[in-house]
Amino acid sequence: MGGFAKNKLAEKRGYTYRLTRRQFLVASSAAALAACGPAAVTPSASPSASPGKELKIGQLLPFTGVYAELGNSMRRATTLYLNQNDQKIANRPVTLVYGDDANVTATGVQVTQKFIDQDQVDVMMGVVPTPLAYGIRNAVHAAKLIFIDTNAGGNALTRDTVDCKPSCKSPYIFRASFSSYQISYPIGDYLSAKGTKEFFLAYANYGFGTESAADFTTGLKKNGGNVTGNVAPPLGNPDFAPFVTQIKNQPTKNVYSFFSGADAIGFIKSWNSLGLPAAGYKMYGAGFLTEQDVLKEVKDLANGAITSLFWAVELDNAENKKFVADFQKSYPLLPDVFAVQQYDGMRALDEALKKLGGDTSDKDKLVKALEDVTFKSPRGDFAFDKSTHNPIQDIYIREVKTQNGQTVNTISDKIAKVADPGK
Amino acid sequence: MSPELVFQQALNGLSFGALLFILASGLSLVFGMMDVVNLAHGAFYMLGAYVALSVVQFTGSFWLALLVAPLALALLGLVLEPLLLRRLRGRHLDQVLLTIGVSLVIVDVIGQVWGREVRSLSAPAGLDGSVALIGGVYPVYRLFVIGFGAALAAAMAVIYRRTKIGMLIRAGVEDAQMLGALGVDTNRLFAATFATGAALAGLAGVIAAPVFGVQPGMDTDPGLLYSLVVVVVGGLGTLSGAVAGSVLVGPADTFGKVLFQDVALAVIFAIVALVLLLKPTGLLGRIRIAR
Repeated sequence: MGGFAKNKLAEKRGYTYRLTRRQFLVASSAAALAACGPAAVTPSASPSASPGKELKIGQLLPFTGVYAELGNSMRRATTLYLNQNDQKIANRPVTLVYGDDANVTATGVQVTQKFIDQDQVDVMMGVVPTPLAYGIRNAVHAAKLIFIDTNAGGNALTRDTVDCKPSCKSPYIFRASFSSYQISYPIGDYLSAKGTKEFFLAYANYGFGTESAADFTTGLKKNGGNVTGNVAPPLGNPDFAPFVTQIKNQPTKNVYSFFSGADAIGFIKSWNSLGLPAAGYKMYGAGFLTEQDVLKEVKDLANGAITSLFWAVELDNAENKKFVADFQKSYPLLPDVFAVQQYDGMRALDEALKKLGGDTSDKDKLVKALEDVTFKSPRGDFAFDKSTHNPIQDIYIREVKTQNGQTVNTISDKIAKVADPGK
Repeated sequence: MSPELVFQQALNGLSFGALLFILASGLSLVFGMMDVVNLAHGAFYMLGAYVALSVVQFTGSFWLALLVAPLALALLGLVLEPLLLRRLRGRHLDQVLLTIGVSLVIVDVIGQVWGREVRSLSAPAGLDGSVALIGGVYPVYRLFVIGFGAALAAAMAVIYRRTKIGMLIRAGVEDAQMLGALGVDTNRLFAATFATGAALAGLAGVIAAPVFGVQPGMDTDPGLLYSLVVVVVGGLGTLSGAVAGSVLVGPADTFGKVLFQDVALAVIFAIVALVLLLKPTGLLGRIRIAR
């Protein structure tokens, strides 16, 4: 192996590419390993763990790209939980393996494969975007890797679907967050039952936005409500004025929307500067429309908006008060809903493993133990639905108000024990 | 669409176009003079917005931010051109690759310094209200943006046509090598051009912040994506091209997105494809001789 032929083009430009013998050997053997690696190292062959042994948790989160702050928040919650529990889960010292998906599905799929083959993690958690959760579903299912989804809310991840398209439930997949049905259908049902029956829809035009809009519509129609029209800006749309102008030029005054983050801020600002509140229009939405990340930027511009979510920082229960206080002791900011999801995911794993004495070797036993977990979470009573592995949880109806100079979500009502209709 | 709705959407489209002009003018200028598609332009735009965020946070003055952010970006441009780009002069593709690297570094530094949360900037006092117009109220700030964009275009046109600097720029666009042979210090000229391009990106960052917001990802969308579309549609490297491109793309994108919302993301690329098919040099572009 005498190295490579010189690169003529590179030479012409004044620099050369030459591999040394050592570089070549490293590169070629790595390629050879990669080619036969996944087959050679079967994940089920990992040695059975006894209590006291390190517990490896793979965390697949975005730390770069548009969802980076969600990843940061979920990492803070993980750190907080471990700090509160002596860095142990069920008496096993925890080793965290973080992987950054950068909101790119292909990258996330690679990291998942690395968790399975190379790191041989005991449990996997995380995943922010739904397409990524769908993308890794088959890999974790085949590897019998316990995966606790702590954000992605696409309905299909915990449902039976035809030919498993775009995804379907797996015994090894649990969800500690929510399904998009849970944050959309109940409020549609609730509002129409209370007599507000006509709505115009505004939602980000991508999988999760359209799914949320469809579930809201189903809930609305249950009590004779109907949808009069819609606008659907692309996800990450820079200018919301054209869409809000469309809303202003149609007669339905109640507008249900699904936006989050930067989109929510752009939507609410345009909504006000184009004078919709004065013209009698009223804003409704899935809870992400008015979470803290949005409220701290738009403040009282969101006043009066009615949204639904399974948690609010203002929620009045002992667990939530302790959680918010502990979080603020560790970090100079309020926790958000993503932190709660991750925190509950850690808690669920902890509760399940305690019952097994920390033993993760028998995956089916662990699945059973997770199915039986119940505890008081900052969001209220937490339990997994045994047939879908999606949480059964209370949904809160919240109204944005500015009190003592702080703009907050005040809880106006509660819909108890909402389960996803998946079987 | 009722006439009132058409009027309101036309205003939306025009103010969007004005923002696009401010955003794209710097990219166009640098390309015209230096033959470099500066792919760090979006990152410069993002940095301008974040600098403005800090200035407003500490001083409370939007207008001071409108001054400081472009100056900070100009300074950065003055450092980057001799430090990096000059070393690769004449190797245009390598220079373009280099600007991608610069943009990655800038975006990550912004994440480290300012965090990765979604932020926003309010319109300054006096421009944050709305005025009565046909069919309801309209935000004053968007009207201001239209005026600002038009004034900037006019000022740039005067500088181009009536001043010595403008003459040098036009000569440089024509043939920078010949300009050097005639005794003009092209090193200084290129550094100044690059700094001006960066300053214009910073200016766009401040002006656009109250409308487009300040968040991770803004460097590519709307930053780089829309400025590239505008200069490609309008014609590479000319001021009139940047004006024509933004006046077409702004309203076309606005009407396209609300009329064909299921293919909203494709609308803008359909415009690009159509213009390139009918006029490969862009609306007001000229055929350039490859060097």
